[in-house]
Amino acid sequence: MLEEFLSKNAIYIVMIIVLIVWAGVFGFLFALNNRIKHIEKEIEGDKGK
Amino acid sequence: MIWKIVLFLLIAFVSIAGITFPIVAKPEHWYEFPLIMGLGENAKIIFFHVPTAWLTVIAFLMSTVYSIKYLRNKDLVDDIKAHSAAQLGMVFCILATITGAVWAKFAWGSYWSWDPRQTSIFALLLIYGALFALRSAVEVEEKRAALSAVYSIIAFVTVPFFIFIMPRIMRGLHPGSADDTNAGTVVNFKMNGNMQLIFFLSLIGFTILYYWMWYVGYKSMLYKEKLNKQYH
Repeated sequence: MLEEFLSKNAIYIVMIIVLIVWAGVFGFLFALNNRIKHIEKEIEGDKGK
Repeated sequence: MIWKIVLFLLIAFVSIAGITFPIVAKPEHWYEFPLIMGLGENAKIIFFHVPTAWLTVIAFLMSTVYSIKYLRNKDLVDDIKAHSAAQLGMVFCILATITGAVWAKFAWGSYWSWDPRQTSIFALLLIYGALFALRSAVEVEEKRAALSAVYSIIAFVTVPFFIFIMPRIMRGLHPGSADDTNAGTVVNFKMNGNMQLIFFLSLIGFTILYYWMWYVGYKSMLYKEKLNKQYH
């Protein structure tokens, strides 16, 4: 069903591909966010001592 | 700040133009794309899939340049820069593989068919995957930096061959293969001036986006390292 729809409306394939690229960028941001959180924790933890 | 605004406008324009501009048999207006036999509407992937492959090359090249710099100056900051670039290169390499596979499902009939292009990017993923395995296996900082710098330089030697040469001299399904009579070489791609312009704008936009991602990635790694040294 979905395959048939997509092969008839190829523009949605392009949309899916754009979404995958965005998902990759978001994944990178997510990893970056975790790294910054880690840095933050380390600085905050030091203050607490 | 200005380049960030330029980046936003570029990406916004490319996204809108790349998706909405119609494909017609004989383009008469500036906003129409030419029809490429056998590709049809699928051809629009070129504005989003090719930049990811392009960034793979840029990122790995940058990683190599900083690796050479590291080996000359033994400055650990260069190692972090190289690592950040290699990481992004891997992200975009995976994205190019996945977007290509999804497209292939509808253009060629299956997600994966070991086309020369797919085989070569798979080899590239393995080669650079080993770089991260190597990095995580070595504890001593200087040793890790030196080893991964040497490995990164050797690994980059394969990139031009896998990305630019092998898929073009072999017969295959990917546009731009040796026996491709529909689209021709990837750069010509039977694009008209307008399509080419948006394609190059897309490359520029994605390159700026890459630079931004690399910059924040590298800074965060740098401060993490600095903190680690301070507190442990």
